[in-house]
Formats: sequence, structure tokens, C-alpha cells
Amino acid sequence: PPLAILQAYAKFSGAPLTVNAINNSWRAPKGEIPILISEDTAISQPAKILNYLRKQKYNADYELSAKQGADTLAYIALLEEKLLPALLHTFWVEAENYCSVTKPWFASRIPFPLSLFLPGKMSREALNRILLTRGGPPLYSLTEVEAQIYRDAKECLNLLSKRLGTSQFFFGNTPSTLDAFVFGFLAPVYKVCFPRGQLQEHLKQLPNLCRFCDDILSCYFRLTVSGHSPAGQDTVDANLQKLTQLVNKESNLIEKMDDNLRKSPQHPPRKLTTLKLAAGGEESSPLNRLSP
Amino acid sequence: AAEPWPENAALYQQLKEEQILLSDNASSLAVQAFLQMCNLPVRVVCRANAEYMSPSGKVPFIHVGNQVVSELGPIVQFVKAKGHSLSDGLDEVQKAEMKAYMELVNNMLLTAELYLQWCDDVTVEEITHPRYGSPYPWPLNRILSYQKQWEIRRKMKAIGWAGKSLEQVLEDVDQCCQALSQRLGTQPYFFNKQPTELDALVFGHLFTILTTQLTSDELSEKVKNYNNLVAFCRRIEQQYFEGHDKDNSSSATSRSAKRSLLR
Repeated sequence: PPLAILQAYAKFSGAPLTVNAINNSWRAPKGEIPILISEDTAISQPAKILNYLRKQKYNADYELSAKQGADTLAYIALLEEKLLPALLHTFWVEAENYCSVTKPWFASRIPFPLSLFLPGKMSREALNRILLTRGGPPLYSLTEVEAQIYRDAKECLNLLSKRLGTSQFFFGNTPSTLDAFVFGFLAPVYKVCFPRGQLQEHLKQLPNLCRFCDDILSCYFRLTVSGHSPAGQDTVDANLQKLTQLVNKESNLIEKMDDNLRKSPQHPPRKLTTLKLAAGGEESSPLNRLSP
Repeated sequence: AAEPWPENAALYQQLKEEQILLSDNASSLAVQAFLQMCNLPVRVVCRANAEYMSPSGKVPFIHVGNQVVSELGPIVQFVKAKGHSLSDGLDEVQKAEMKAYMELVNNMLLTAELYLQWCDDVTVEEITHPRYGSPYPWPLNRILSYQKQWEIRRKMKAIGWAGKSLEQVLEDVDQCCQALSQRLGTQPYFFNKQPTELDALVFGHLFTILTTQLTSDELSEKVKNYNNLVAFCRRIEQQYFEGHDKDNSSSATSRSAKRSLLR
């Protein structure tokens, strides 16, 4: 999610961004990816990166009212509290998913010997986070916690669907930070086929959210929306291929973007140093690092 | 569960004068405000071991009939099952918004309060440790206190707040207050004319922040920057808490902001 959020935001606001797939997580300061490298500053953590982009005048929220800005914060909090635990669980904790999809995928993108222990570490951290924030009485067993977090996630998806209604984006006809965040959270759920994918099944019952993801993918990421891949190894390959395509995108995609994209009236877009977004893996790869 | 609300419903929290901490006081006040708004009488009972009596380990909890429910979320559900609700008049989109804002408050304000209480060394030394274990003899008081601190710090680390500095936390609080202030605007309540559980929650936290004396005023200053939020708190205080014979933040607090809850 963090990487998908940032790319979506960059697209919406017109920031020229190149995605460099670095496959060496060691180089990242403090091991946090994705990292934004601009001139000589390196910034990690999505929220800080978003702030930086805004300060550089790439702002997708210029036309939002104060209240809409406040709503954005609130909905992001909702996503982090209610949807994130289930997402983490689906990707990193659910044994079948982790062993058959997440781990091989992630491990294939990072060099040996990191691939030996980094996925395991991330899996443990995910479980830790879930248990610490959502476990505890009166939920005493892991299955109870799991049941609760999926209930919460499904409710969250329902709420998002109600909020989106029939509009194209969350605040009218142009995308904003909130759209980037929602897309960042939903896209992995929507696109990655897991053996145990109850979240995906639930999401598919909410057609406006699916349409939302498809719209963004096709408008801003120039992907044709493909149908379901057959289950099994083929699925993994198909996903990998699709994601490799995403990663190989060039920044000239920016020029072809919709006119709807917000440019701040007083600050013409800067054609300056290309901002490099360093990522450890493909774009909507599972959570690289948990940063709030 | 269609029994009517009994007369002897009780809300349990820690000892008010000596023991209760900022975050727990905020949560407790939020529930009290909510019940007041629903016109459901409840008396506040202070017990040193309230935390341990609670089914989820968190305060406050209410004891109604033969059921025990803790924390605002479940209490709202419970009250709804009894036929009282503040948010029935909202449409689906508004309900979604309300839930989102409640998460925002929990995510930012509550976490910031916990951070300040348990991760800021000065506050921990001077306020939290002495208060938290105060009803118990030494060494139990220190042990309980350290245990809780360790638990909270673990949680902070898991969600990524452990690396934050106090300034960053205060900035987050400011951002949250700004969002709340913008959403409230000039309305009397968040969803215009009628208060909802969101109003109760926001009141609980903001009022507590405004009236609790800590080692420094920075936290309450952040809230005071937003006039409509301060006015909001005063309004709810006047409407729901004054003129009641209750053992909580009643007219003793009066108009001024500072009331010392702590030694």
C-alpha cells in the first residue's frame, strides 16, 4: 500500500516521478521503503513524502474545501484502523497466502541472503502489530481476533462504498489525496489473487469500489484491466508480469495524463529535477514497511 | 435485551482525584457525555481496580442490569440494542463520516494522550508513575506502573509512534484539532442540531485536555487555538453536566479552563 498510495498521488498531482526498483533494502536509511530521493534529500514514510510533495507544490488537494481536507484525515484514520489489520493479515499472516503468494513474490525481488529472513521478519511484525493493537480481552484467541478484524475490514469497505456512491472520485470529479490512499489500500486487495481471499470476495460485491480501482488503473497507470487469471502458479506469474510492467513505466506517462490533473494556479508545474521514488519491489507489492 | 434501562446503572472508572490518568479520564467522560445525551441516568463509581474489573481491560465500563460492557464503541451498540440511539437520524454517508471521525479521534488524540503519559519521560516521572499505582503499597505500585508502561510502549512501537518526538506528536494533535475544527465550523454539533456519539467522544477528549494540568501547557494550548472547539466544550458542559448531582466534571469546573486534576 504505501508505494501504491504514493504513485497514485504523484499521478494525481502531476509530480514527475520515476519508480526505481531497488532490490536492496539495506541501502534504505533505517530500512524503510519506499523512499523519495530528490536532489540530495531522502525522505521515507508516506505521510512525510506527501508533505514534501505538497511543499514542492505538487498538490492534488488544492481545490478541496477545509471541510473536505478534514474529511480526508478522518477517512485515512478509518482506513488505518479498520482496513489495515485485515490487509496485513491477508498478505503476511494467513499461512496459505503467505507461503504461496507473498513470500515467494517478495523473496524473488530482494537479493539473497535478505530473502531468507526479511519476509519472515515482516510477517512477524505484521502479526505483532495486529495482536498488540487489536488483540487482548475479550478476544482471547487468534481466530477470534482474526474474525473481528475481517468484520471490521468488511464494514470499512461498506462505509467507503457508501461514501463514494456514484461519484467518480471521493470529492467530485478530480482525484485527491484520499483517492490515492483508498486506491493504495484497495488495489492490492483487488488485484492480487490469494487462495484465501475473503477480502477480495467482499470487495467484488461492491461494484462502485471496483469501478473506482479500475478507473484509476486505466486512466493513470495505463493498464488494461484484465480478468481473472486462473488459479495456481499461473496467477502468480500473471500478477508478476503485470506488476513488472508497472515498474518499468517511464516518467513520460506524466505528459499524457488527463487535463483534469490539478496544477496549482500560482505555481506552474516545475519541470525540474526528476524525483526518484526508490522502491524495494514492484509497485503494488505487499506492504514493504509498516509506516503509519 | 429489551429490558428498560435500570435506575441503578453504574459506570466504573479509577479514582478520580488521585489515580485516573488523562486518557482514561477522557474515555470515561466521553461515555458519561454520551449517556447524558441519551438521557440515560448512570452513577459514577470510582474503584482503584476498575481496569481489572473491566471485561476488556479498559475503562470505563458500565454495569447495567446483569451485563457489563466496556469502551465507547460497544457501549453505543449496547445502548442501541436497548432502543436508544443518537445517530439514527443520519443517512448512510453521514454515518460513514461519523465513524471515520471517531477513528480519527482514537487514532490521533487518544494515541497522543497515551504517548504523553507513558512515553514522555518527564510526564512519566512526575505524573504518571505517582498516580497510576497510588492506591497500592510499595512495591506493587511501582511494578504495576512499569508493567503498564512497558505494555503501552510496545504498542507504540508496533504502530510506529515510538520513534516520534514530542513536537511531532503535538503537531499531530494540532492537525487533528484543525480537522475537527474545520468539520465543526459554526455548527453547534458535528451533525448540526443534534449531538451524536462523535460529539460525546470529542467532548470527552478535548475537555479533559483543556482541564488537566500537566507538566507543561503545550497540549492544551493546541486545543485552545481553535475557538470553536473551546466553545463546543463549554456548550456541552453547560447543557449536559451542570445542575446534576453527579460525581464528575460538574459545575465545580465552571467557566475557566484550568482545573487541577492532579496533585
